Amino acid sequence: MRGLTSLLLAVVLITVLSGCGGNDKNTIVFWTPLTGDDGAYMDQLVKDYNATNPEIKVKHVITSDMYTKNSTVLNSGKGVPDLSIIHADRVPGYVKQGALEDMTNVMAAEPELKQENYLPQAWSTGTIDGTQYTVPLDIHSVVMYYNKDLLKKYDAESFLDDDVVTIDEMLSLQGKLDDGDFVVNDALLGWVILSQIQNLGGDIQEDGKPAVNTPVMKKAFEEVKRIADAGLMTPYGEDGYLMFQSGNVLFSTDGTWSSTAHAGVEGLNFGVTNVYSPTKDKFTNRSSSHLFAMLKNDERTDEKEAGIAKFLEFIRENSLEWAKAGQNVASKQVNESPEYQEYMQSFFTSNEKEIESLYIYTYEYYAYVAEAVDTYALELARGNVDIDETLKTMQKFVEDKIAEGTGGQ
Amino acid sequence: MKKKINWAPAFFVGPHIILFAIFILLPTIYGIYASFTKWNLMNEPVWVGLDNYKTILFNQDSTFHTQFFNGMKNTFIFVGISVPLLIIIPLMIAVALEHKQVKMKNLIQSIIYIPGLISISAAALIWLLIFNKQLGITGNLFGSDVAWPATQPYAWIIIFVITVWGGVGGNMIIYRASISGVSQDLYESAELDGAGPVRRFASITLPSIRFPLIYTFVMTTGGAFNVFGQPLMMTDGGPRQSTHVLMMYIRQLAFGNGESIAGMASAMAVLLGLVILVISALQYYVMNRNAA
Repeated sequence: MRGLTSLLLAVVLITVLSGCGGNDKNTIVFWTPLTGDDGAYMDQLVKDYNATNPEIKVKHVITSDMYTKNSTVLNSGKGVPDLSIIHADRVPGYVKQGALEDMTNVMAAEPELKQENYLPQAWSTGTIDGTQYTVPLDIHSVVMYYNKDLLKKYDAESFLDDDVVTIDEMLSLQGKLDDGDFVVNDALLGWVILSQIQNLGGDIQEDGKPAVNTPVMKKAFEEVKRIADAGLMTPYGEDGYLMFQSGNVLFSTDGTWSSTAHAGVEGLNFGVTNVYSPTKDKFTNRSSSHLFAMLKNDERTDEKEAGIAKFLEFIRENSLEWAKAGQNVASKQVNESPEYQEYMQSFFTSNEKEIESLYIYTYEYYAYVAEAVDTYALELARGNVDIDETLKTMQKFVEDKIAEGTGGQ
Repeated sequence: MKKKINWAPAFFVGPHIILFAIFILLPTIYGIYASFTKWNLMNEPVWVGLDNYKTILFNQDSTFHTQFFNGMKNTFIFVGISVPLLIIIPLMIAVALEHKQVKMKNLIQSIIYIPGLISISAAALIWLLIFNKQLGITGNLFGSDVAWPATQPYAWIIIFVITVWGGVGGNMIIYRASISGVSQDLYESAELDGAGPVRRFASITLPSIRFPLIYTFVMTTGGAFNVFGQPLMMTDGGPRQSTHVLMMYIRQLAFGNGESIAGMASAMAVLLGLVILVISALQYYVMNRNAA
């Protein structure tokens, strides 16, 4: 009986581990956190690549809670995937903890996998102390959709002339809107605040220390609060995203990836521009990037690294499919192609100024700062809490987490 | 003569014990160990003794202390209100369904039970749309001007609405099964003796379903302490962190946006576990003693 139980247990464990791990020398196990519609586009890209009959095929595994699983497999050293997609803000922490393999061999195997062939910010987020740890797939940002019909109705089309919709321009609509109509919603408000930090010339760190309780952060919240105070922002607690889709909101601050969902709404006549700004001189679309990375794994062979290089080169040349997910493809070959210009998000790679507006935070503790901003943004923008006290709380929130997390070790 | 061993029970119980050990017992033991460490999942845990517990319980300047007690307070509010609702409403429905004049009992039972089968995410989307001021029924049909998820006490109310809507079915089935097993002779005798419906309920029904009542009370309370999905989906912990329950903090710490702070999260989880253990034991002791 004991033998039977042991056998059953062994079969279960082998089945589970072989499904997750990267031990098959003829397969590149590729983990992504793409649990939404974008997972299907990535599936298609992998399918297209495998149809080219490469020596080593790619197996795409969509992994919910991927970062937790990354921690687990890295800790145990078992079942580490050959290739992963990680977000830009993870790179500094992962590199500091020795969790990433550098891309030197991969880049040597396929010489076109180089900085000049990618959007500069996307490439540089993977560069730490001169070493390249990632190859970028895309840049995805908070942007601002607009309802063309409502802009016309309220004679606000001129707001778009210089590609910077200012907060003052929005405030000029005060008292002019019909009941139930609003100028802007509060979707992804945390990301909007992080955009304003850049617009106001600030940052979220000073000399490596988190800088949350700062005059710039206060100013960023106060600027956004002006819109809410004027009654022009969708009501707190209401689904502003849905209200934009129902045609009651002029501007919606949301991700590039939402363009596909908006396009599915019948009668929604919309376009896309930059996130609003307190100043005419600067606009920023706070962004992140999906990056191909190799978690540390001593069992990854040179042949597999060459296979990974081939796959990444295929993606560089053929990732137009990824544009369907609403993302700004990082490969210049793709984002400069005529076909790509048909996608709405190509607006953000249409000139140097737009490309520069795609700002990616690379501060090591960005995730903690973003969590603090996300937690308190809605209450602060609505004036429900005291701004000075709350900024103090947020600063402590980040410092405590750094002390208890990696930073404390 | 050698006694023959009967392996049949082991064959049926064995897999359960193995799975329980792998997926419940070992993680629990490791979680308790982790609560005494500083650990971010990536690196090896570093033993810090009682530091995490001291910070959570006594360091008033620490974010973890503030979050823990705010989360615990909100969790108690949820438990204090939802548990009575999830015991009393199903009991009333079960008693009502046993009445002879009620027709289509199985259909009614199914209708009440079905919401419990819907995932909390889908249910939350449905209810958020219903309570949406601009687009939903409450605003358009009833003229309500309340932003429910952003205003108290309405934020709690919508959490309780979805909890009761999805939660009464399970307990109702247990009560119905128990009540249907009570001898009709008892009711008829009591009726002949002049006992009214309330007296019959208090003197016959309640004592007869004592054990199912204790069971559902203890299990419902334990489940309520672990509440997570409803406040996450309906209010995201707002307004002003007033519906931010402890499980939301624990999950954020362990697997949130930032890097994991698993040691601290484990300590909070252990403390929550202890609270559940003590309260469950108290409930069992008090109800069993009163019923004896």
